[in-house]
Amino acid sequence: MRVPLRIAPDLSIECGVTVFRVGIGASVLADSTMAGRQAAESALSGLAGGEPALVVVFATASHDLPVLLAAVRQVTGDAPLVGASSSGQFSAGTLIPPGQGVSVLVLGSGRYRFGVASVSGLRANAFEAGRELARSCLAAAGPERDRHAALMVFSDGLAGDPQGLLNGVYQVTGAAVPVVGGAAAADRDLSETLVFHDGRVLGDGAVGVWIDSPRPLRVVSGHGWQAHGLPLLVTNVDGPVVHEIGGRPARAVYEQNFRYDDPMQELPTAWSQGYHSAHAFGLIEPDGSQLIRGAFIDEDGLIRTFTPLPPYSAVQIMTAGPDDLLDISEPLIADALDGADATVLLTFSCAARMDILRERGAEEAVRLQKAAGPVATFGFYTYGEFARTTGVSGYHNATLTALAL
Amino acid sequence: MAGGEVTDEVAQLRTQLVAATAAVSDAYRHNARIVRVLTVLGQPSTPEQLVEQTLIVLSQVFGADVAGMARVVGDRLVLTGCCGLAETHPILDTGWVLGGAAAEAVAGGRAVARAEPDLTDVDIPADLAELRLRSGVWVPLTGGPDADDQMLFLFSRSAALLGPTELHLLASVADRLRLAVDARERSVAAERLATYGHQLSGYLELPQLLAQAATMLARLLGADSARVVTVDGGRARLGSSAPTAPHRRSRWSRPVSELPGWSAATRGEAYRGIDPGDGDGDARALLCAPVMRDGAPAALLYAYRDRRRPFQGEAVETARIFANHLAAAMTNAELYRALRDSEASLRHQATHDSLTGLANRSLAGEHLEQALSGTDPHPVGLLFCDLDKFKEVNDRLGHDAGDELLWQVADRLRGCVRGSDVLARFGGDEFVVILDSAADLDEVNEVGRRIVRVLEAPFPLRGERVQISASVGGVLGVRGRTTAGAMLRDADAAMYTAKNRGPGLVEVFDEAASHRSLDRLALRSELSHAVERDQLRLRYQPIVNLATSEILGFEALLRWHHPVRGVVPPDDFIPLAEETGAIIGIGDWVLAQACRQLAVWQRLPGRSRLGMNVNLSATQLQQPGVAVHTLGVIKDAGVSPGDICLEITEHSSIRTDVTEFATTLRGAGVNFALDDFGISYSNLSHLKRLPVGTLKIDRLFVDGMTAKDTDLGIVRAILAIADSIGLAVVAEGIETAEQRAALLALGCERGQGYLLGPPLSDEEATALLLGAGRRSVPARH
Repeated sequence: MRVPLRIAPDLSIECGVTVFRVGIGASVLADSTMAGRQAAESALSGLAGGEPALVVVFATASHDLPVLLAAVRQVTGDAPLVGASSSGQFSAGTLIPPGQGVSVLVLGSGRYRFGVASVSGLRANAFEAGRELARSCLAAAGPERDRHAALMVFSDGLAGDPQGLLNGVYQVTGAAVPVVGGAAAADRDLSETLVFHDGRVLGDGAVGVWIDSPRPLRVVSGHGWQAHGLPLLVTNVDGPVVHEIGGRPARAVYEQNFRYDDPMQELPTAWSQGYHSAHAFGLIEPDGSQLIRGAFIDEDGLIRTFTPLPPYSAVQIMTAGPDDLLDISEPLIADALDGADATVLLTFSCAARMDILRERGAEEAVRLQKAAGPVATFGFYTYGEFARTTGVSGYHNATLTALAL
Repeated sequence: MAGGEVTDEVAQLRTQLVAATAAVSDAYRHNARIVRVLTVLGQPSTPEQLVEQTLIVLSQVFGADVAGMARVVGDRLVLTGCCGLAETHPILDTGWVLGGAAAEAVAGGRAVARAEPDLTDVDIPADLAELRLRSGVWVPLTGGPDADDQMLFLFSRSAALLGPTELHLLASVADRLRLAVDARERSVAAERLATYGHQLSGYLELPQLLAQAATMLARLLGADSARVVTVDGGRARLGSSAPTAPHRRSRWSRPVSELPGWSAATRGEAYRGIDPGDGDGDARALLCAPVMRDGAPAALLYAYRDRRRPFQGEAVETARIFANHLAAAMTNAELYRALRDSEASLRHQATHDSLTGLANRSLAGEHLEQALSGTDPHPVGLLFCDLDKFKEVNDRLGHDAGDELLWQVADRLRGCVRGSDVLARFGGDEFVVILDSAADLDEVNEVGRRIVRVLEAPFPLRGERVQISASVGGVLGVRGRTTAGAMLRDADAAMYTAKNRGPGLVEVFDEAASHRSLDRLALRSELSHAVERDQLRLRYQPIVNLATSEILGFEALLRWHHPVRGVVPPDDFIPLAEETGAIIGIGDWVLAQACRQLAVWQRLPGRSRLGMNVNLSATQLQQPGVAVHTLGVIKDAGVSPGDICLEITEHSSIRTDVTEFATTLRGAGVNFALDDFGISYSNLSHLKRLPVGTLKIDRLFVDGMTAKDTDLGIVRAILAIADSIGLAVVAEGIETAEQRAALLALGCERGQGYLLGPPLSDEEATALLLGAGRRSVPARH
């Protein structure tokens, strides 16, 4: 029998007259009830008897999720709960690989005010769903407003247009409210991804947390990918399938631009066969940076992306090795904690990164926690990360995003 | 080649490669930007969605934190779309003062970019300070020659200025956006026009139609307010406004010449100008479009906007088409009103009497039923009113005069009912009053009396003063229990009862009377079939010589053998037969039967001079041609008119002018007897006027003459009168030998009564005539 992970750091900071405490717990027990209870009890103990104001849960979709959530709520009570199915989780420097585990973060009251809500209908109209989600979360946070705010969002990773969801959110919140979070993931397949709201498990939906804060909340992101080759113009795209680049067959152009010394020369194929791509498209941003868009070859030999590339978008083929990805950890954490009097660092990494890291997968969790020092890190591996900071764009692939609380 | 040189060359090449890559990247990025924006502009959407989606794409491709579109309204920028501000931000409603870079962009007609440290609150309003915006670009949107000023703006938290290429690109995007929005707005306006046109035709009431038209017009033209002014006979009236006008202004009316744009409207043209306002507001931009019907303005559409946002050519075209829709809808509404009016008129015709304008039978019936189903605790009163002698007026002065009389009667009756009561004409000379709530029968009676009184005064008719009266019957109906049919039937019966009692009388029936009336009604119905069902029989009472007991003749007496009720007394059924008119047929049957029987008996030995007395009712006497008819019946039976004596009452002779009848028949030899002399008028002038040969002394006097001096005196007086003017006398009801003796002593020669012979069947009478010789007193029946 494997020894379950038990992590229960007592993390707290003085905040005026109140103390903001968080507690983290995790379990790899196979039984959903026992795992849920164990992780929740560990996390709750971190509040030193305080009442939880928010519960965040990431768990493998192989668990009986309703049972798992019920077990967590038996411990945490009626405190609002949000979360998502994951493709691996990490907390306090420890990785729980895909296929097992549950991680629970409880946030005590005192510093932030949370408003939790969820929506469905992402596939039908992601933009409207985003608008409704933002409005509902804001309403749930109550009529009083603190000076600053952020929104944490988890969405079904296989439903709808994630950027459309963010567009809808932006329409309600505007530029002042950054967005962090990620798309729910499954364990190395594309079967089903789910989000959690209190005791409910939702498909085709999204759950959000409005976070009202007395200090500015800053969302950061970084990926470590390197551009390779000249910029290219996507000349023919049909939804997720990229047909032509620069007027030529997309696959030929894609292959031609692989880095000659890439250690993983084989072409990435569908996730069902083990997705491990050292290449991706980099969507050239207004500031010249690249937004990563993961790609793979489907059964018909066509190049597909997880979210459609805009027609005639300017892209570069990106490539990354394990070190490229891991080296982003320290600057990212430093950026996230810059000026922040933080207790916990909510961090979202990508299932695609894990695929590149392979046997070095656990290093990312370790390096993140090390860089964070006394601030606990907590997060999961997603099917797409949210970090909306400048303008409306905020959906990323193969990227690390973070928010310090 | 030295290693160092190679390295330098490689480094140089690398630098060149980086620069080339950056250049390509920029070029492609610009390209990608414009393609993405053009893609959005090409997608089907509403104007609002187009602006929304374009701003999102602009935020994405230019990394703008705030992207917005604004319209210049006076000295302010009013946002028409925005991406990047919280949807509850107050500035979305208020906009901000046009100044700084925005004003420069509008004035110069070119894009302006500005970044820290040149950026001030005038460029980006202080209300957005929390976003810490550090640069911006303002791009005017070029429209048509008379288009209003609009602009696109992008604000960023980065201080990096957009380059000239990007500004050029934005300007190009802005123009396309303006064109796309305008095209979408035109298409939406066209769609709305079509929809509104269709919806307008659904409003069939003019006030609602005009109200809806004002609301639609404001929406169609993006106007702050709109009005529909109707034009009629040189005056204009406010038909509707949107938003709805305050009450004090909702009714203005003024000469059309005072309306702005009137002269253009008379030519069917729209007008654009400035409305000075009503004195309490700023001057406004105005658009007026006439609603032309039959070549002239039937209404004017007015739309108003802030004067800094005047109406453009497209708005004129839209208003013109909308005015056409409204003209068609107004025609529709008028047709509908005409149809509704004609329906109402048909309904009125169907429910009202065309002569008097009163409710007719059907409406009164409906009203009565409705009243009876109500919840008022008081009962419902009903009066049935029938004019007396109306027929005479009609016959004498003609139908037109009769109609005029009815009209005058209706007019007087209107004056004696309450507003809540219903006055109806049931046809002919019958009027009905329904008292919606009557306290009791007394009240019904009182209304009845009022009706009688109000009709007492003579009616001026064709230069004459015509006197009529009315017989009125009244009943009460209990709500929830009595039916309209029963009430009408009972009131009718009460009216007949009143009429039988004499003209100008009121009779009200309580429940018991109604029951009796019901019983009489059943009897009446059965009586009409009595002849055909062979239920009538004649009895013959001998009239004898008191001194000799010789049978001089018989009085034929009618009996009704009812299968259930047994023998119904004549006093019960004769009045009914008179009411229903059944007496005509019955009378004919009686006369014929009696005459035939007389003919049979006259063939018996020694009976050739036998006489037969037959009673006639007043109703029979009123029939046209009754004299000839009666004589025919007598002759047909084969008897001599001289052997027939027709008995009429003094009462009948007064109710009907019998002179002609009596004179004709008397001329033919028929005898007349006055049946009830002494008990009613006993007017000697009647005796002089009528060719009466016999007086009959009523049984009342005969019965009392042996006991009371008064009766004896009356009998003596009658005998003296008869003697003095040469009339025969028959005493009725002689039941005792004393009575016979007394009558003989007074000189009365003839009599009838049980003492002398009861009413007999034909067989008994025949037997009497055959067997008993000249006199007989058979046993009583």
